[in-house]
Amino acid sequence: MNRRNSLAFRLIAAAAVVSIVLLLAAGLLLSSLFTAAVERSLDARLQAVMDGLLASVELDGGKPKMDKALADTRFEIPLNGWYWQITPLGDAEDKQLASTSLLDERLPLGQFDVPDRADGARMAGYMRDKSGNNLRAIEQRFSLFGSKQLYSFLVTGNFDELEAEVSAFNNALIAVLSLLGVGVVAAIFFQVRFGLRPLSALQGELTQIREGKQDRISGTYPVEIQTVTDELNLLLESNTEIIERARTQVGNLAHALKTPLSVLTNEAGIHGGALGRKVTEQAGIMRDQVSMYLDRARRAARAHTIGSVSDPNDVVKALVRTLERIHIEQGIKVDTSYAAQVRFRGERQDLEEMVGNLLDNAFKWNAGKISATVRPARAPIDNRISWLEIVVEDNGPGLPDGGAEIAMQRGKRLDETKPGSGLGLNIVFETASMYGGRLSLGRSELGGLQAVLTLPAVGSAG
Amino acid sequence: MRLLVVEDDPDLNRQLVTALGDAGYAVDSASDGEEGHFLGDTEPYDAVILDLGLPVMDGVSVLEAWRREGRTMPVLILTARDRWSDKVAGFDAGADDYVAKPFHMEEVLARVRALLRRASGNASSELSCGDLVVDTSSARVTVAGNAIKLTSLEFRLLSYMMHHKGKVISRTELVEHLYDQDFDRDSNTIEVFVGRVRKKLGIDVLKTVRGLGYCLSEPDEQA
Repeated sequence: MNRRNSLAFRLIAAAAVVSIVLLLAAGLLLSSLFTAAVERSLDARLQAVMDGLLASVELDGGKPKMDKALADTRFEIPLNGWYWQITPLGDAEDKQLASTSLLDERLPLGQFDVPDRADGARMAGYMRDKSGNNLRAIEQRFSLFGSKQLYSFLVTGNFDELEAEVSAFNNALIAVLSLLGVGVVAAIFFQVRFGLRPLSALQGELTQIREGKQDRISGTYPVEIQTVTDELNLLLESNTEIIERARTQVGNLAHALKTPLSVLTNEAGIHGGALGRKVTEQAGIMRDQVSMYLDRARRAARAHTIGSVSDPNDVVKALVRTLERIHIEQGIKVDTSYAAQVRFRGERQDLEEMVGNLLDNAFKWNAGKISATVRPARAPIDNRISWLEIVVEDNGPGLPDGGAEIAMQRGKRLDETKPGSGLGLNIVFETASMYGGRLSLGRSELGGLQAVLTLPAVGSAG
Repeated sequence: MRLLVVEDDPDLNRQLVTALGDAGYAVDSASDGEEGHFLGDTEPYDAVILDLGLPVMDGVSVLEAWRREGRTMPVLILTARDRWSDKVAGFDAGADDYVAKPFHMEEVLARVRALLRRASGNASSELSCGDLVVDTSSARVTVAGNAIKLTSLEFRLLSYMMHHKGKVISRTELVEHLYDQDFDRDSNTIEVFVGRVRKKLGIDVLKTVRGLGYCLSEPDEQA
């Protein structure tokens, strides 16, 4: 069975793909939300520095000047990424004022599209300093008290320091989401298995029906499946019914044709003459044709019956009892041995035809001894299922070398002196083949013919 | 020997009755199961030829009913259904032999002879009593090798006595087994027939048991 073409695989795969995509999206969203939050809090701190700067700066002859140092000492450590810079816009570029951390470096302006007005509009963004630090910068423009000059106030923070925080969060996020993903897939797996359990129960019941251990689906199933099982039961019933009807009609046809044939044959026999002989001859041909095609129709009608099982012991017992009565003058007691547990996986009537013909042959040819044995197969045809053997032996002349093939052909008779149509062994052979079984003819220890019929049995191989 | 044929097909019924009659048997016939069952249950037949596919009451039921009622005459079943299950059902119902349709009349005659012989405990188709030999298959009667010519009714009488060698047979029993149902029976005619048979055989095997009937046995040494 292809495991990838299964309902379980489809359900699990579809659910797994959807949940993994959703988890990935959730991860990306959370990560970017966290980064944004970190950014916002940094912006807030930078804004505080900006406010402090604005409060501390004054103009000294057009040049900005700090009247007291900022409380935050980070703006004094050289080139650490924490900078501030006040730049008069226009011509007085040399009047720049910057944090000690910038040393002689100056940050370029014009990175952000800050409106050219003194309304304190804030712009934020990223830039890099000469040492390659990733800087988060905010810039605002003000005109200071006592001047019409516009000044750009730029404050930066080292964003790299926060990257660590962000990546720690991302790692934790990946770990948690992966765990969640595994948990979700496992839950889906169990849910699917649980949800599909009625299907495997149904499969089990169908196997039982095929093996003939039950004749209908009896379990109760979820409503979605119950409709299917109800339909299956109806199908099984109508199947049996159709076969029954076909069999009855075939029987009726046989009866209807054979009585007139008897009348024809006998009337022709009484009157004799050329016409009588012709009628006798043609009636004989009709009789053979009728029995051949009726036989075929009968077998075709039951070739596909599912789930029938019959007891070979019963069949052999009944046939031995009957044949001993038919041949009561031979006074033979058939030596039988049975296997109580063995069951034939097939129609009782087919088994009766096969065993009946084999026993009939033995009664025709024996010299006083016949044995019939039912047993589990000693030479099974394969190991997929179990097989049974029915062995019929006699102490008659047996078959000449190479006679086995001829004996199993339709209408072939090795000895024309014994009565019979020559259809017996051929019917056994064809019926056995129909069941995947086998008929092998050999020499018996009793001295005559040994016929071994190998047929499928109920039960697993063993 | 008196036989019953139960067969619903009128042509086959007629053929069977004719052929069996020609073979020297007294034959009654019925065309449905109910009539057949009634006749078999009330008349003392030596054998019955019974079709299994009968209207009103099927053959197997008829046979089962007879056996249940203690009727033990040999029954030959005719059946178009020649599957083994049908044969098993027939024999389990109490049949003694079967012939599958379509059949040749000779086969039915041979089976009937074999059944009658088996019922009287004879192994061969030749019945003998001293010098007297009756071959039931060819209807030949010889005394010490000389062929004796008998009429059909005379042969029927001798054959019945041979099948019941050593037993005392009453006149009524003889009448019942020699004539079919429609025959105008008169047990006095039996005496006439017995006398003719004795005369034709010329040996003393058919003895009168006074007040009881007749008995066929080896010629008395002292006589």
